[in-house]
Amino acid sequence: MTMETFDLAILGGGPGGYVAALHAAQLGARVVLIEKARVGGTCLNVGCIPTKALHASAEFYRDARVKSAALGVDIPNAVVNWAQMQKHKQDTVDQLVRGVEQLLSAKKVTLWRGEGRFLSPHRLQVVGASETRQVEAPRIIIATGAASAALPVPGANFSGVITSTEALSLERVPEKLVIVGAGVIGIEFASLYRALGAQVTVLEMLPRILVGTDEELARRLLQLLRRAGIDIQLNVQVLAIEESQPLTVRYSDAKGEHTAPGDYVLVATGRVPVTRGTGIDTLGIAMNRRAIAVNERMETNVEGVYAIGDVIGGWMLAHVASAEGKVAAENALGKAGAIDYRAVPNCVYSMPELASVGMTEADARAAQIPIKVGKFPFSANARALSFRETDGLVKIVAHAETDVILGMHILGPRATDLIAEGALAVQAGVNAREVGHLIHAHPTLPEAVMEAALDVTGEMIHYQRVRVGA
Amino acid sequence: MEFLETSVDKFVFRVARDYRYNDADVWAKREGARVRIGLTDFLQQKSGDVAFVNLKEIGTELGVNDELAALETIKVDLVIPAPLAGKIVAVNDALADHPELVNSDCYGAGWLVEIEPANIADYDALLDAETYLPQMQARAELEREK
Repeated sequence: MTMETFDLAILGGGPGGYVAALHAAQLGARVVLIEKARVGGTCLNVGCIPTKALHASAEFYRDARVKSAALGVDIPNAVVNWAQMQKHKQDTVDQLVRGVEQLLSAKKVTLWRGEGRFLSPHRLQVVGASETRQVEAPRIIIATGAASAALPVPGANFSGVITSTEALSLERVPEKLVIVGAGVIGIEFASLYRALGAQVTVLEMLPRILVGTDEELARRLLQLLRRAGIDIQLNVQVLAIEESQPLTVRYSDAKGEHTAPGDYVLVATGRVPVTRGTGIDTLGIAMNRRAIAVNERMETNVEGVYAIGDVIGGWMLAHVASAEGKVAAENALGKAGAIDYRAVPNCVYSMPELASVGMTEADARAAQIPIKVGKFPFSANARALSFRETDGLVKIVAHAETDVILGMHILGPRATDLIAEGALAVQAGVNAREVGHLIHAHPTLPEAVMEAALDVTGEMIHYQRVRVGA
Repeated sequence: MEFLETSVDKFVFRVARDYRYNDADVWAKREGARVRIGLTDFLQQKSGDVAFVNLKEIGTELGVNDELAALETIKVDLVIPAPLAGKIVAVNDALADHPELVNSDCYGAGWLVEIEPANIADYDALLDAETYLPQMQARAELEREK
C-alpha cells in the first residue's frame, strides 16, 4: 500500500478545504487534499453556485413576464426552457470546478480522490476507486462539511421527499411544491420555484421566517413573498407525509389540522455536520453536540488536528469556511492567527434579496448597548426607481454615543452585493457620519446606504420622517 | 357612510360625518367600548401612496400623541400619534398584504388600530366632522401655498 508523507493533509475539498490547501501551498507547504467526490464540495456542486445559476434564470423569466412591458420591451410568450436552465446551471458548476482543479494544480497541491478516514491523529487512509493509500502528516485539517437534516415524521422516506440537492435537478418545474423550513434554503427555493410558476407552500415551526436576521426586514420580506403568491404558514408542526396527490403534508397549528399537497416535499430544516465514516470518533475529539469543537485558531483538542467549515457548525457559510481554512492553514504551519467573526455577511438570495452583517437591534439590546437606527427606503432611491425594483430598505444600527456602525441590514435590489460596504464598515469600526459624508456615486444603489447612515445622525437628505400634527 | 366634502384647487377632500378628528388629521370612531383609528382623506392624499405599514403591537399602552403606527410612502415615513390614550386591542392585519387600503379606503378597510380608551370622555373631546372640516381646509390651503 502506498504511504506518502506531507506537511499538511486536508480531509474534504469544499470551499473550506481547497482554500486551506491553496493558502498552505502559498506558505510553502507540501499539501495533500483528499476529496471523495468533486472539489468545490457542497458550495460549488450542490449548494451556493447551482442555486444562484437557477436564480438568475428564474429572475430573468420573472422579469420578462412582470417588468418587461413597463420597461418598454414586448416579450409576448416567455416560456421556461428547463433543460437549458439545467444546462446553464451545470455549465457554471463545471467551469468553476475545473477552475479550482487548475488552481490546485498550479500551486502543486496533491489531490487524492477517495474517501478518507483517520487511522491515528497523524495518519489517514484514503480508499479510492482503484487503490487504497495512506498519508502521514503532522498536521491534518478536517473539512468534511455537512448534510441535510432529516425530517423525523412518518412518510419522510417516500420518494418525492427531497433535500436541496435533488431540488436543484428536478425533471421539470413542479406544479406544486411544499417546503418544510423557512430558513435561508427554504426561502431561496420558495422564491426560485415561485418565480418559475410553481405553486409553493412553506411550513415553518417558528413564529417568523429567517430566524437570526433583522426582525423588521424579515417581516417585510414575508409580506413581499406572500404578495408574490407564496403560501407561508408559521407556527406549524409537521405531523406526517402521506402518499396522495402525489404527496400530502399533514400539519397542525393553533387553528387545527391542515394539509398541503405537493409533487415534491423539500425538507429544509437545517444541515448537520458530517463526521460518520471519518474515524473521528477514534481520536477522542471533543464535540459540540454534532459539530467538532475548536478554538479560535481552529484547533481541536487533539494535537495537530484542526477543523473548519460546516463540520464545526456555527455560521455554515462558504465564505466563513474559506476564512477558517486560511486561519487553520496558518496555525498548522506555525504562524499565529485567529478567526474574527465580527463582520460576517449573511446573504439570502430571495426575491428581493436580504443581506446583513454585524448586530441586529435585538442583538444590541440583549448586549445592553445603546443604539440609534437609520433607515432609508429604496422607493426613494433613483437607481432603484430607474429599473423598477423599489421594495425594501437599508437599515443601519449604530452605537448611540459614538455613531460607530454595529450592523447593517438590507432588503432590496442587490442587497447581497451592497452588504460589502456594511461589512467593511463593521470590520473597520467606521462610524455612520463617515459613511454618510463619503461621496457615493449618483445614481447608484449604495446611495441608499449613504442616506441610511445620514439618518443615524439626523441628516438624511432624500427622505423625510414626519410626525403628523407636529 | 356619509361624507362632508371640501376642495382646494383640483383636490377634493372627504370627511366622514360620524367620525371624530384631531388637528393631526387622524380620525377616531367609537365602536362600542373600543375606538378605531385611521388617517383622514386629507392626510392620505398629502402623504402619497403607502408602501408599508408598521403598526404597534396589540397590548401596547399608548399615551396621547404616542406613536401608534409608522407609514412608509414614497415621499415620507409618517409617524402617526395616538389621538387619545388607550391600549391597542386590535390591528388591521389586512394592511400587511394591502397597504394601499390606507389610500383607497381610509375611513373603511384602511383603518389602522383599535384601542380601549383610558378615558372615554377623551373621545367626546375630539372634533366632530363639522368643526374639523374648516380647520382641515385651512391646512390644505397652506399646503397648496408651499
